[in-house]
Order: sequence, then structure tokens, then C-alpha cells
Amino acid sequence: MEWLANTPTSVYIRESLWGYPIIETVHVLGLCLFLGFTMLLDLRLLGVAMKRTPASEVCRRLEPWMVGGFVVMIASGVLLFYGDPAKFYGSIFMRIKFGMLILAGLNVLIFKMGTYRKVGDWDVREKTPAGAKIAAGLSLVLWFGIVAAGRAIAYFLPPS
Amino acid sequence: MPLVQWLGQSAVAQAIHNSSWLFPFIEIFHLLALGLLGGSVILVDLRFFGLGMKSKDLPELARDVQPWFRLSLAVMLASGFLLFMSEAVKMYTNEAFQFKMLFLALAIIFTFAVHPRFTRAPGPSLAGKMAALISMALWACVGLGGRAIGFV
Repeated sequence: MEWLANTPTSVYIRESLWGYPIIETVHVLGLCLFLGFTMLLDLRLLGVAMKRTPASEVCRRLEPWMVGGFVVMIASGVLLFYGDPAKFYGSIFMRIKFGMLILAGLNVLIFKMGTYRKVGDWDVREKTPAGAKIAAGLSLVLWFGIVAAGRAIAYFLPPS
Repeated sequence: MPLVQWLGQSAVAQAIHNSSWLFPFIEIFHLLALGLLGGSVILVDLRFFGLGMKSKDLPELARDVQPWFRLSLAVMLASGFLLFMSEAVKMYTNEAFQFKMLFLALAIIFTFAVHPRFTRAPGPSLAGKMAALISMALWACVGLGGRAIGFV
């Protein structure tokens, strides 16, 4: 971590006036695209939003934008971490956030390999199957936790 | 200004101000609502360019997304007001905050008074695309102003 903290780019991000604010702004704009679309998709899978559109249609159209937003979030997030690796590495909330990110990824994987495989059976129905509702509910809970942990990272940093 | 001072001294404002966790806790809801608000705005505005939910026509998409936009705006305004209260006097004179409030007013007026004329229009038009760009730019300015509050 110390080695990482001493690389020129890391020092630059940490010490420059605009480094952090700019990267954080990109992180927040990426959040609109990624988290916003994730929530809209989850709401569709819960059967409460865009009910007249087939679920697979919403998935298919939103997916490329969500992937784009996710790449922006990860890239800017890595840069924020890279700006002060020693400090963030020691933060318990950083670890919690990372753990929940992995769980959110697994949730998507399980949904795609399970309930979503038979999307044809329930695509146009307003009432979605329990598997879709559970995946959507879990996703919303996990993303709430990820945002909460992200906020906690900034407010409860370990003494460096 | 007396009103702002009174707000800042109110019991609720003081409770948030003196707590180590209430401010970030309210911020969680502000950020989640930001995601939904930003996502709703982007989804509808992308449709003007034939992107995103292309299989749905614009008036229908706008109608479907509208309740979620309104819900997220309500959560943003409520949580934002609480955050403002806890630092009322400091915020009131913060230039980034003033910038944010100016663009928030413009974005709300545009979204409710101008934008619907174009989402209801049947076919794609250049004016509609302009409206979509203005909408996204106004909301982006609100977000940028918000980010800047902590740095000026």
C-alpha cells in the first residue's frame, strides 16, 4: 500500500486541488446512470414500474448503459482509492462496501442463470415470479448498503 | 436571513449538526434519490435521440417514468432541506450552494413547464432533442453545484 501511495499519480491525485473533486463528480454522475437504471430495472422486476413493457425488453435496453455506468463507477472508484490507498485500505467500511459489491454481482449472476432463463414465461405478465422479486429486492437492499458504506468511508476514516 | 438563522437554530437542525452520523445518514437517502432522479431524467432524455428504451414511444415512456421522477425529487428536496438546515447560515452564503439553488429552480421550472410539451409530441424533432439536452444539462449543473459545496 505504501508503495502504491508513493507512485506519482497517487501523490498527484492526493495533493492536487482539483483531483479529488473532479473524480468524485465523475463517480456521482456515473451513479446516476448506473444506480438509477439499476433501480428502475429492479422496480420493473418487482412489478411496480414500466409494467406494460416486457421485463426482458427493459433488461436488454438498459443493460448497455448500465455496463457503461458501471465501468465509470469502478474506474473513478479505483482512482479515489488510489489517491490515498494506505488510508482507505484500513477502513472497515471500504471492506464492507467491497464485500457487498461482490454479493450484488453474485445476485445478478444467480438471477441471470436462474429465473431470467425462463423470462419468456413471465415476460409480459404484470405479476413477476418470486425469483425476480427476490433478486430485485436483494439488489435494492445491497445498493442501499453500498451507498451507505461509501458515505461511511468518507466520514469515519481511520486515523492515519 | 433571520429565517435562515432561525432554521439553523431549530432543534432539528441542531440535532443533525451535533450528531456524528445523522448528516451522512441523510446523505444516503439524498444519494439514492439522486440515482433514481438522474436515471429517470437520462432514460427519458435519451429516448429523444432514439437511444435506450427505443421500443417504447416517448409519450408512454415519459408517463411510466414520471411517478418515479416525482418520488425521487420529493426525497431529494426533503433530505436536501434537512442537510441545508444543519448548516443553514454557512450554506446560505456558500457560492456553490447559491449556484445549485439557481439551477435547481431552473431545472424544476423547465421540467414541469417546458419539457412535457416535447415528451407529448408524437414524432422526433430537433426542438425535442434540444429540450432533452437542456434538461440533462440543467440537472447536471444542480449535481455539479452540489458536489462543489464542500470544496469552496
